[in-house]
Amino acid sequence: MTNSIPELEESDCILVTGSNTTEAHPLVASRILRAKQKGATLIVIDPRRTQIARYADIFVRQKLGTDVAWINGLMHIILKEGWENKEFISKRTEGIEELKKELENYPPEKVEEITGISRADLRRIAEAYAKAKNASIIYAMGITQHITGTDNVISLANLAMLTGNIGKASSGVNPLRGQNNVQGACDMGGLPDVYPGYQSVTNETIAKKFEESWNAKLSRKPGLTIMEMFQSIEEGKVKAMYIMGENPMVSDPDLKHVEHTLKKLELLVVQDIFLTETAKLAHIVLPGVSFAEKEGTFTSTDRRVQRVRKAIEPLGEAKADHEIICKIAKRMGNDSFNYDSEEKIFEEMTRLTPIYHGITYERIEKDGIQWPCTNSEDPGTPFLHKDQFSKGKGTFFPIPYREPAEIVDEEFPFWLTTGRIGFQYHSRTMSGVSPSLQKEAKEGYVEMNPFDAIQLGIEEGEKVKVISRRGTIEIKTKLSFNVGRNMVFIPFHYFESAANVLTNTAVDPISKIPEFKVCAVRLEKIEEENP
Amino acid sequence: MLDENIVSAILGLKLSHGHPIPFLFTKSSELGKWVFDESVRYPLTKILIKIAQKYPDQKIGVVVRGCDERSLIELFKNYQLQKDKVIAIGIPCSQDLANRCRCERPFPSEIEDGEFAKPVEDYSDIEEVEKLPEQERFLYWMSQFGKCIKCYGCRNICPACFCPSCTLEDENLIKPGGMPPEIPIFHLHKAYHMADRCIDCGLCEEACPMGIPVRRLYRKVKKAVKDLFGYIPGENEDEKGPLEFLGDGSYELPGTGK
Amino acid sequence: MLSYETILTTCTYCGCGCGILLEVLDGRIIGTLPQKDHTITQGGLCIKGWNVHQFIYDQGRLKRPLVKRDGKFTETTWEEAIEEVATKLNRIKEEYGPDSICGLTSARCTNEENYIFQKWMRAVIGTNNVDHCARL
Repeated sequence: MTNSIPELEESDCILVTGSNTTEAHPLVASRILRAKQKGATLIVIDPRRTQIARYADIFVRQKLGTDVAWINGLMHIILKEGWENKEFISKRTEGIEELKKELENYPPEKVEEITGISRADLRRIAEAYAKAKNASIIYAMGITQHITGTDNVISLANLAMLTGNIGKASSGVNPLRGQNNVQGACDMGGLPDVYPGYQSVTNETIAKKFEESWNAKLSRKPGLTIMEMFQSIEEGKVKAMYIMGENPMVSDPDLKHVEHTLKKLELLVVQDIFLTETAKLAHIVLPGVSFAEKEGTFTSTDRRVQRVRKAIEPLGEAKADHEIICKIAKRMGNDSFNYDSEEKIFEEMTRLTPIYHGITYERIEKDGIQWPCTNSEDPGTPFLHKDQFSKGKGTFFPIPYREPAEIVDEEFPFWLTTGRIGFQYHSRTMSGVSPSLQKEAKEGYVEMNPFDAIQLGIEEGEKVKVISRRGTIEIKTKLSFNVGRNMVFIPFHYFESAANVLTNTAVDPISKIPEFKVCAVRLEKIEEENP
Repeated sequence: MLDENIVSAILGLKLSHGHPIPFLFTKSSELGKWVFDESVRYPLTKILIKIAQKYPDQKIGVVVRGCDERSLIELFKNYQLQKDKVIAIGIPCSQDLANRCRCERPFPSEIEDGEFAKPVEDYSDIEEVEKLPEQERFLYWMSQFGKCIKCYGCRNICPACFCPSCTLEDENLIKPGGMPPEIPIFHLHKAYHMADRCIDCGLCEEACPMGIPVRRLYRKVKKAVKDLFGYIPGENEDEKGPLEFLGDGSYELPGTGK
Repeated sequence: MLSYETILTTCTYCGCGCGILLEVLDGRIIGTLPQKDHTITQGGLCIKGWNVHQFIYDQGRLKRPLVKRDGKFTETTWEEAIEEVATKLNRIKEEYGPDSICGLTSARCTNEENYIFQKWMRAVIGTNNVDHCARL
């Protein structure tokens, strides 16, 4: 997030898109509703009528995968009306002319046709957002899990810069991270091309710094992303995989393929607290511990580094994940993995990571600090890009609209989108064994529009087949006007009726994020067998 | 009291990592970290039930404000705690807090130290909603309930909610799942059950992440019970609630009292 | 014994970073409370947060290392498990080069654990093949 969660409360216009905020990020939704109560205009753009959409001043459904088109459409209107922030554009950005040229291709009539959002609504949204003093954009996986995910994100940044809605309190572009420490995992260099703090592995000076500190020769070649890893296993180039606390067997697209691939490995080691679907395929499984059994830090979606504290001793012989890795590293012949405490690890990391440099356990003893925090006097950074962008001027990138990788046709006439529900979490490793959560949402379902159900002769609660080019699942229906016509929604949490058997593996060329949010399916009744 | 073995432990707040958090003091040497903070309230009497269930024979002290004391009375009455095993250590609230809470009794019957704040009788929060025409009033509440994310926080934190099985989770009454949960049934069930139990501490509303004015609702039903039956929860230990929603005798629950 | 304390920590579900208190009675976690004075939550939590303690003692928790022999898992000691992982990884690294090994680190784990994991992949295995499920 460019801003802090509490700051949202002071925004006077909030645009929520691709985020089912009340269910997936309730404590962010809480601030959005407070802002609304204080008079902010709330705009929700989502294919589903989510809970937060009920409170929107303007709610519109876009057709799946048409985000670049409506964002360009908004900017087109803003420029036509002269609502852009000319001062911000001239002082802090570059590339406006190229953007303007591209935007000419997005007159409201055309955008209405592509996105299904009416001209009048587009105009209302453009006006509310552009004329607000402090407008915020909030998005989640509904924006990123597309083959145009990166395009979508850049387009939102274009929109924010065009109106000067970035680089100040309560105004910015705010992606909501799905898992508790996704932010931290990225910050810590859990990515193939960067060391901790987003320092490039290809930069010679940086690589040398790490070589010196870690006393090792380091590769300058960026590694494989998760989707590329699976591909390389398939091609026989990758022989061993070590998975710490992840369950790609539920969370990856096209599950049948993932299983097939993992089985090809010579060595699969999984470290987890439960015997997950992924762990079951492993050759060796090592027991880690839960968050309650270890010390450390998590970094939340608003870049806030906060303490995790040990409440109980590890169960059985389980060990904290870092202890296990240190043991293996030592056994593999490296002696730089000796730490007395988690704090020592943290200190080594902050020494090497400029954006965390000023953070210590002592300073976050009471409350968290938001990075960047570069020295011991630095109070941290509630919002980013205050006086300049990290690269100096912000660049507008003209983004042309591209269709999703798979579109509906006669054979597969329904759009499928996937997402979360508030009572379950990710692959359900934890929430599925929590009685209070499981009780609320025992099994998966496909949400469909009642009119479509009538046409297909399907009733509420009936088990149906959902079929895509990649697989078939059987799943109960739930009828709801929350989804539009010719569209269905399936929560991705359930292994037994896994949405990701159906989803498309097509990825965004830059972020490599798969297109979970759009694919084409058909629904079939299950013929009852004669008794 | 700890040294003299009057109680084996005292439940209060301790300053830990810069924050006042619930802690059971068992040694007088630990009392250095004892803290009293007006702005931070936890349901100590409710926590005490969990401890007393495991240690029914221990006498335990608990720090109480006016509202906590009212909850103690309800918990004694409903056999969740044994009166002779609990020593209440009374503290008064400041006038400022009493005003903010619109508290009609911002002090327990006995206080260790400090001054009694003046009772506040202020139903302007309820009147504000009652002024609305019926249709608008209905929409007001429906819109408030529609924000609910079914966290059960209002129930979980309530020092007067203690049933081992809760009607809010009864599949026959309320459909599982749903954000928001079935409205208005979910909230009306809760409100009905609060009518002769609510001790008006306001912890429910503080715990609501979505800012639903649940306390306002409970105050309203509580006032209705007061006007109809002259009954006020948390006042008199010998007087049972008029609604007896738990059925005859069924509230002799697996607490510690009976 | 008689000990009850609450441990101030951060919820492990979504990315909001809510402050929670784990209630520990005689060394066992019995419940979760919202941290009333937390910057983000100010005393609120969602249903996942309120019940975040429930999975901790689930009987499915792994308590010992497991090795698959003839398609079946058998329990083993830490020494043997570590030995086997290290030896096999060393062998694969020698035979096929460091880039034949890849690792998924975790959005579920702490910063410290993620740091150690990528340091191990990079400095010991010798590859940048590190990613996690952020994309998913």
